[in-house]
Amino acid sequence: MTDSALLLLQAAADTTRAYGEFPVIGARAAVWIAAEVHLMFAAFVLGVPMFAVVAEAIGLFGKDQRYDRLAREFTRLLLVAYSATAIWGAVLVFFLATLYPRFWAYLTTIFGPSMWVYAGLFFCESFTLYLYYYGWDRWKYGRTKLVHWGLGILLNVWGTVVMFIANSWLTYMMTPPRDITPTTDPATIKLWHAIANATWMPINVHRVIANVVFGGAIVAAYASYRFLVAKTDEERAHYDWMGYVGNFIAISALIVLPFAGYWLGREIYQYDQSMGITMMGGFMSWLWVIQAFLIAVLFLTGNYYLWIGMGRIPGAERFQPYTKYLLLVLVLGAIVWGTPHTMIADSKELAAMGGSHHPLLGALGVMSAKNTAVNLMILTTFLSFLLYRRANTRPVVPWARTGTLIQAAMFVVAAGVVLFYGIRGYFVEAIVRIGFSVYQVLAVLACIVCVTVIDILMGRGAASLGAIRWGKMPPRSQYALFILAVTFTWLMGLMGFARSGIRQYWHVWQVMQDTSKYAATPALGYASKMISLCVLIFLSLVGFVFWLGGLAEKSTFVPAGEGEKGARHVGH
Amino acid sequence: MWATNAKILGVVLGTLALYTLIANKIPQVQSEVPQTLTLGANVTSEQLVAAGEKVFNGIGGCPTCHGLGTRAPNLLTDEKGQGTVGARCGKREAGKSCKQYLYESLDNPTAYVVQGYQPIMPVMTRQLSPAQVWSVIAFLESQGGTVDVTASDIPAASTTAPAPATGAAGGSGSGLAGGSTDPKAIIQAAGCLACHKLDGQGQVIAPDLTHVGSRRDAESIRKKVLDPMSSIAKGYEKLAGIMPKTFGTMMNAAQLEALAQFLAAHK
Repeated sequence: MTDSALLLLQAAADTTRAYGEFPVIGARAAVWIAAEVHLMFAAFVLGVPMFAVVAEAIGLFGKDQRYDRLAREFTRLLLVAYSATAIWGAVLVFFLATLYPRFWAYLTTIFGPSMWVYAGLFFCESFTLYLYYYGWDRWKYGRTKLVHWGLGILLNVWGTVVMFIANSWLTYMMTPPRDITPTTDPATIKLWHAIANATWMPINVHRVIANVVFGGAIVAAYASYRFLVAKTDEERAHYDWMGYVGNFIAISALIVLPFAGYWLGREIYQYDQSMGITMMGGFMSWLWVIQAFLIAVLFLTGNYYLWIGMGRIPGAERFQPYTKYLLLVLVLGAIVWGTPHTMIADSKELAAMGGSHHPLLGALGVMSAKNTAVNLMILTTFLSFLLYRRANTRPVVPWARTGTLIQAAMFVVAAGVVLFYGIRGYFVEAIVRIGFSVYQVLAVLACIVCVTVIDILMGRGAASLGAIRWGKMPPRSQYALFILAVTFTWLMGLMGFARSGIRQYWHVWQVMQDTSKYAATPALGYASKMISLCVLIFLSLVGFVFWLGGLAEKSTFVPAGEGEKGARHVGH
Repeated sequence: MWATNAKILGVVLGTLALYTLIANKIPQVQSEVPQTLTLGANVTSEQLVAAGEKVFNGIGGCPTCHGLGTRAPNLLTDEKGQGTVGARCGKREAGKSCKQYLYESLDNPTAYVVQGYQPIMPVMTRQLSPAQVWSVIAFLESQGGTVDVTASDIPAASTTAPAPATGAAGGSGSGLAGGSTDPKAIIQAAGCLACHKLDGQGQVIAPDLTHVGSRRDAESIRKKVLDPMSSIAKGYEKLAGIMPKTFGTMMNAAQLEALAQFLAAHK
């Protein structure tokens, strides 16, 4: 046996070095930043291709070149963002391997083969992206355009599979199959058994939707920046429209997100009651009050942007008197949703409160009230969209009045169902009450789908009251889009902390304990500073990425009048 | 251009500052890592109650449900006119003392689910060490009742070497695997199987331990763990010095004894 082999064996045998140390900020903070920023970039590069391909399809099949240009601009933002994603991913792996070597060895023992597949698919994804973007002009017409669109779909397939693989690693840490114990040799754990754990699919679905929300918000922020620095009306109009589309996508997907979150929460409870209780009523209970505040900001800012946007739509003035009522519902809903309820409290705090709940607010803090509030907020936001959509049209179909009445009735029925089950929830046992939320959600979704279908049919051949004056938006509307982007990003960091933090002092829940000096899960105050730092790093880098994108765009354009050949594109 | 950039920066930083400020203004609750509890043989009831209160509000996480009165009976306030838990525990089950009832409720929570509540409580004797469990019982008895838990209720091993049943890797001051005396947890936490094979698991770099009891007695194993160079197995001379010399400082005495006896029984 050679000396080098002996050294390797010695290193393998030295099991005492389970943790490394990182200067100044410590190992946990280093991994936290690397993981969070990587995840934010990853969410962006997975979310944007989804609606890039949808926008291209609208352009292709709807013969609207604006959408094709939009899809291309979305995709251009991806190129540098991909590199940033990969760099932060590599940083994360290096940190894990050097700062948490024993844990990393454990994970690689189980998931090694899936990591090789992950790397291979990342290659496929990257080269498909390059083909998709750089082939835009070459495959522009006829069947080749369809092939190009197919590349966009393929890009999404690779990205989604890559994400699903990575999700299996982190969900295994949360919910390892119950037959795996601390004494189970990781080499004996079957790969698929570890992948198909209790929260894998709920996280997959939740993240797909959340990525769309996130991508939409960041694109909207990009468009708002371009709007604010635009030098021509044409440019301003384009970026106003792009910002609207990004925000529309983000808010539309956000409406569905709570339902996916509900499924994930239920799976966590079913896997381990104590984990679920830790999440919702244990040391993390205050986190949900912060979440409620952030969601309230999202709903209010999203609606505010729409209401300002109605100022550039001829005919919208007839709906503007209603916005104050919509605002009232949103504010009341936000207040109810943010009402604390099952907080951790010791005997002194209980005595000071005069019981386990506040005598007045306790009734509003329960899930019956909160589910009712959030469903009514979703309905209100949908109504804002509907008014916005109909603002500059007047239906001419003979059944227009009847159709509008049916739509109104659907809103009333949906709100009635939501209120009925919300109130009834106070008089039944918890297990029955949980089931009521399904009826509330179904009522809201049914209303959204049916009203939209009626609106599309009713809008056929509708009389126009004037074209939307794209670009005629006050700057404050664009700053609202920035607030949305920051809030979405912060919310993502917060929910990441919730998901990861419920494992508490376990690397792998009840299988591998975290025995490092950072094992205690920090309080929300510390977490919020880390989240803000990560958001700042991410947004700074995204700003840099967008600036780079702008440089590339400028370098290919020669303004008219420079030289006898006039305006022309160079490069490519 | 620069004015616009400055405004955007202001909006971004202002929004981040607002969220950070709010998150720092709310009550700050940190999830603690379980600490081992050392109780001497002469522990007093006051010491038990004080230790139990810490476990109840800390690692036990009991107020999460029992401090509300919605998920589970509130143990610290009056429940339907029956008083606090110390006053009512002795009347819950005929023939069972308060102490017996509380212990069984922690050991088998589904046995006595109070009417109107769901059977959601985890088995606490699996999550807490015996010393922690008995100190919690003492604390609960002190809530309106008489504390009759004594050191004699706590298994002898746990008064000197507490053992929260949270196996896996570890290296806290109380010993590997959080101080557990489960030999399998110690072997897992110490990483013995990275070199040794035992019962079909592990590597074959170092001698197979499956039948180590036929080659060494408990004394020899104990000595070998504390001083790996004290004897080298035949055929493994080249690997002399590879086994870490730190296991003796990583384990407490009870763990070392448990490990030695466990391996010696592998004939």
